[in-house]
Amino acid sequence: MSIFSTILVFAGIPLGIILVVAALVASGSSRTRPARRYRPGRPYDFRPIWFLASPAQVTPALAGKAAPALEAGIIEDSSGAQVRPGPTGGASDRW
Amino acid sequence: MTVGESQALTSGTGEQPLTALHHAGGPTLTAEPELTMSPEAIDALDGPFTTRQLLRLDEALRVADQQTGLTFSVYIGDLEEPTREHAEQLHRRLDGAAAAVLVAVSPNQRVLEIITGSDARKRISDRDAKLAALSMAAAFAGGDLAGGVLSGLDQLASHAGRH
Repeated sequence: MSIFSTILVFAGIPLGIILVVAALVASGSSRTRPARRYRPGRPYDFRPIWFLASPAQVTPALAGKAAPALEAGIIEDSSGAQVRPGPTGGASDRW
Repeated sequence: MTVGESQALTSGTGEQPLTALHHAGGPTLTAEPELTMSPEAIDALDGPFTTRQLLRLDEALRVADQQTGLTFSVYIGDLEEPTREHAEQLHRRLDGAAAAVLVAVSPNQRVLEIITGSDARKRISDRDAKLAALSMAAAFAGGDLAGGVLSGLDQLASHAGRH
């Protein structure tokens, strides 16, 4: 085997394979959408979303638009005294 | 929601529902699935969840509502300070707020609020809510937003029991 063919076999072919694999890797990463995942500590810049089993139950248009006036905030009885809604419960947590 | 249901909702009452393919030769539903979706649904697809996660969330909310008779809802987005008051404001905007349970998650502030209405509070005690909040916060700390919400809804619904 001449020096030329030795180089061709032992350097040229591996180099060719490496180039093919590298080209495949580079072309495969053309994902248009960015990673849409929440990771703790990274900024979360999605629009607010509100999930409800039947969306008709919530006042529409939260995202983007101004929040509508709250109607259920103050309820008055016949004497004009303010009736406070029943106490809400629940829990809070941080992570 | 099936294609037919969404079409029945989006088209006006009384008239025959329009198909998503308004004219022959238009784009197919596979090529442009947005044709059958409401604006809210398209917004949700831009969110942090994959389609599969959205479907599981939808299923979880529906099952929780059906089994307990309460109204579960999940808000994911920034809350104004003080977060508790803002979450309660959101809760009051729900129809039948007394029997509603709102899970408000703010990933930027790393805050989680669970609000139960005055009726729902009798079914889900504050201690049960705190237990669900702990497991949700644990999942969020690991970066699993959808999984945390799902497990939280599951716990809240099982604590509330069947109606």
